[in-house]
Amino acid sequence: MMASADIAAADAGLATPPPQVVRRKKRGNSLPLGIVGWIVGIVFFFPVLWMVLTSFKTESQAYTNTPSLVFSPTLSQYKTVFSSGIWPYVANSAFATIVSTILVLLLATPCAFALSLRPVRRTRDLLFFFISTKMLPVVAAIIPIYIAARDLHMLDNIFTLVILYTAMNLPIAVWMMRSFFLEVPGELLEAAEMDGAPLRRTVTEVILPVVAPGIAATALICCIFSWNEFFFAVNLTATQAATVPVFLVGFISSEGLYFAQLAAAATVATLPVILAGWVAQRQLVRGLSFGAIK
Amino acid sequence: MSEVTYDSATCIYPGAERPAVDGLQLAIKDGEFVVMVGPSGCGKTTALRMLAGLEEIDDGSIRINGKDMVGVPSRDRDIAMVFQNYALYPSKTVGENMGFALKMQGVAKDERARRVREAAKLLDLEPYLDRKPRNLSGGQRQRVAMGRAIVREPKVFCMDEPLSNLDAQLRVSTRTQIAELQRRLRVTTVYVTHDQVEAMTMGDRVAVMRAGQLQQFASPTELYDRPANVFVAGFIGSPAMNRFDATADTGGIHLGAATLRPPDAQLRAAQGHGKLIIGVRPEHLTIGDGELTVKVALVEDLGSDSYIYGHLADDAASNVIVRSGRDHPQHGDTVKVGVDTTHLHMFDADTGLRLGE
Amino acid sequence: MTTIAPPVAAARPARARPDRRRQGWVRRAPLLPALVFTIIVTQLPFLLTLWYSLQSWSLVRPGSEHFAGFTNYVDVFKDSQFRTTAINTVIMTVGTVLIAMVIGVALALLLDRKFLGRGIVRTLLITPFLVMPVAGALLWKTTMLDPTFGIVNFLLRPFGIGHFNWIGSFPLGSVMIDMIWQWTPFMMLLVLAGLQSQPKDILEAASTDGARPLQIFRELTLPHLRRYIELGIVLGAIYVVNEFDAVYMMTQGGPGISSANLPFYIYQRAFLGFQVGQAAAMGVVVVVATIIIATFALRLIFTSFSGTEQAA
Repeated sequence: MMASADIAAADAGLATPPPQVVRRKKRGNSLPLGIVGWIVGIVFFFPVLWMVLTSFKTESQAYTNTPSLVFSPTLSQYKTVFSSGIWPYVANSAFATIVSTILVLLLATPCAFALSLRPVRRTRDLLFFFISTKMLPVVAAIIPIYIAARDLHMLDNIFTLVILYTAMNLPIAVWMMRSFFLEVPGELLEAAEMDGAPLRRTVTEVILPVVAPGIAATALICCIFSWNEFFFAVNLTATQAATVPVFLVGFISSEGLYFAQLAAAATVATLPVILAGWVAQRQLVRGLSFGAIK
Repeated sequence: MSEVTYDSATCIYPGAERPAVDGLQLAIKDGEFVVMVGPSGCGKTTALRMLAGLEEIDDGSIRINGKDMVGVPSRDRDIAMVFQNYALYPSKTVGENMGFALKMQGVAKDERARRVREAAKLLDLEPYLDRKPRNLSGGQRQRVAMGRAIVREPKVFCMDEPLSNLDAQLRVSTRTQIAELQRRLRVTTVYVTHDQVEAMTMGDRVAVMRAGQLQQFASPTELYDRPANVFVAGFIGSPAMNRFDATADTGGIHLGAATLRPPDAQLRAAQGHGKLIIGVRPEHLTIGDGELTVKVALVEDLGSDSYIYGHLADDAASNVIVRSGRDHPQHGDTVKVGVDTTHLHMFDADTGLRLGE
Repeated sequence: MTTIAPPVAAARPARARPDRRRQGWVRRAPLLPALVFTIIVTQLPFLLTLWYSLQSWSLVRPGSEHFAGFTNYVDVFKDSQFRTTAINTVIMTVGTVLIAMVIGVALALLLDRKFLGRGIVRTLLITPFLVMPVAGALLWKTTMLDPTFGIVNFLLRPFGIGHFNWIGSFPLGSVMIDMIWQWTPFMMLLVLAGLQSQPKDILEAASTDGARPLQIFRELTLPHLRRYIELGIVLGAIYVVNEFDAVYMMTQGGPGISSANLPFYIYQRAFLGFQVGQAAAMGVVVVVATIIIATFALRLIFTSFSGTEQAA
């Protein structure tokens, strides 16, 4: 394509722009991928979107052959939901979630520490043991748990749920916290030791700040699982300690199949966790990928 | 035939204030070993990656054997690259690593194995052909990275600071190996480094870069004896060339209180430029009788030579380095230093460009 | 990992020994609370379940329980419904996990590239994981798959499939769709972690070596992703095997037991049939089967992931 004269000219340092069609690739955002990405995102999000839209419709608008995207919104469904006594359930869910998560963090953090930064013999066996407790089908254990709770007069008691949720989330928390502890560079600990810090201060002033995002991520995952938990709640609670998932199911049976109302109830039930997950998205992603994606 | 031409090649990252590579103009001959050198951020790695197809050519062009590479993806350029961190494929053995490109070309298995073995022999890698990269030492990995490039018999070798992760001793021996290898294979090579010793010892020609712009493209000797500007003068040569502020008139070159008398042609070239920067290499200064007075701050005794570090007696902010022998002054002494005026470099203080011969 | 243990002086072994012992306990102390708690809350119930499984006991007739040896186990293995629900469980688990992983890999590849609004799309894609399982199942049952009012039928009406009863005709499949929807984000995030942990210069090296994008994916990316995929499959399987909420909400295991999985079936036996002994025996069988399968699977994670401590 290039004449030797042009090569010679280039050699001599003169720029002779060659006459040709130049196809310069654009850096940055890709349009076809963007389109695919958005389509996929909307498809996956659609059920949730539809749920929220339906919750603002009147029953006749929701209960129709031809669903519509355009309508005049109403808050009447939400009024119904909120006037059907949802608040005690919310309080129970919040209590069980928060208290069990705090307990989990208190138990899992030192445990993960002992399994990572100051390793014990048989670390692998212990880790295996923790994860194996998650593999036991909950259904197998529910019978003795139910009977034990009944005999201890702990049925319909929120603390029963607290204990069970703690046990449910502990293995995952230990695994996650351990992976975050493993990211603490060894030199940090050595530097602290050279600086004369006793273990307790090393932990609080050097290690904890580094793993703080990891703790947040673990806490978020525990909250999600606790808030959304249904099986224990439905079998071990009745009127006093029932949580939001139980309310939702109860709402369905009593209200029959009123789509718009159900949508509103479902939105209220799921919204806290969805919002928490969105806001703390980075923590969520860190937690679910065991600290691999920052 | 593998000539490489950078024709006003420019690369600018989105949002950057200045181009990473600004109008680079280089004509590299077939079989030549060209080193791109400069401080970090000077654009040398970007320029190399533009050749390899890993960075965009935003303006100008790069031609290999006359064919314009703008818009041509890396895989079609027939260029082999040795990366700074070697970039060996972790899930593949050494043999598979080296044979990968041939596999992509569709070369038959036996032929692949034969060529891989040949390259492995050249680099002493035969015992390791079945190992995975994680079971190799740093030096071995480096050789595998080289082997991967050699096996391909490409048009151009691109090497991005391949020695920087090796320890000092290994670096020296590998340096000579690479130079010998290239001489034997005679493949056009573009080699990037920040180490000017590597540049001077390995390159047929060296391109000195700074802030995206080419400062000088010449043989090592040329760069050493006739640096084109102040930057090159100070960058090439270790320890660095002495640089002083000075002025010139028909009487000579005035350095503080001292006056130097260079050859007439030189003196004539220096006229009319107002402020000058004078450059003298440490080996062209002599302790003994002379025009300059230097206060010694530090002595580096290297065995056969020594280097005297100090400042001019009348300018405490200046830096002077003088090469001496075993018999050298001590810290705190004040000595007289003579200047070899036939090896004086002169630069215009505003433009930095070389004046005279 | 750094160990901050004082060096044991070889010259004075007698003195060092009790120190070492104490050191050992000091190290173990932090994990004891978690360990003890877990043992009490998870192992005790299991032991009790074992005990109950050897009893003939129906909650309907209190006081009638008596030791029955392995009768319950014999009944379990003779129970054709148990076999059916076991097969359902396998189909549900394998199907959900594999499909979620395949879609997850595809989505991770998508999210690994740059495009406008990538962050928002990622937010949208992780939402299903956050939705309460009972709410999710409810959504799929009513607003999505309902024969008359569901959106899916509405969208398919132009193609002539207006009033199909998805849940009635494909109960197991419908439950699986809901679970796949909920678990894909998890798989996607794990695989995305794998993609982002791959050093970019390796991909560049492959590019200069003449590899096309598909070849790079096959030869380099997939082997690298292997351990992330394995982890996703194992963790996902652990959760999906125990899935209860979706079955309960969408189909109650029906029609008949066509969409019942083992957790739901056991629940039915225990809480609806009050057959404690039988339910316990089923539970034990499921636990044993899970442990056997999981032992193989876990060995996989450990060998793949003991490298987590050294960078990927």
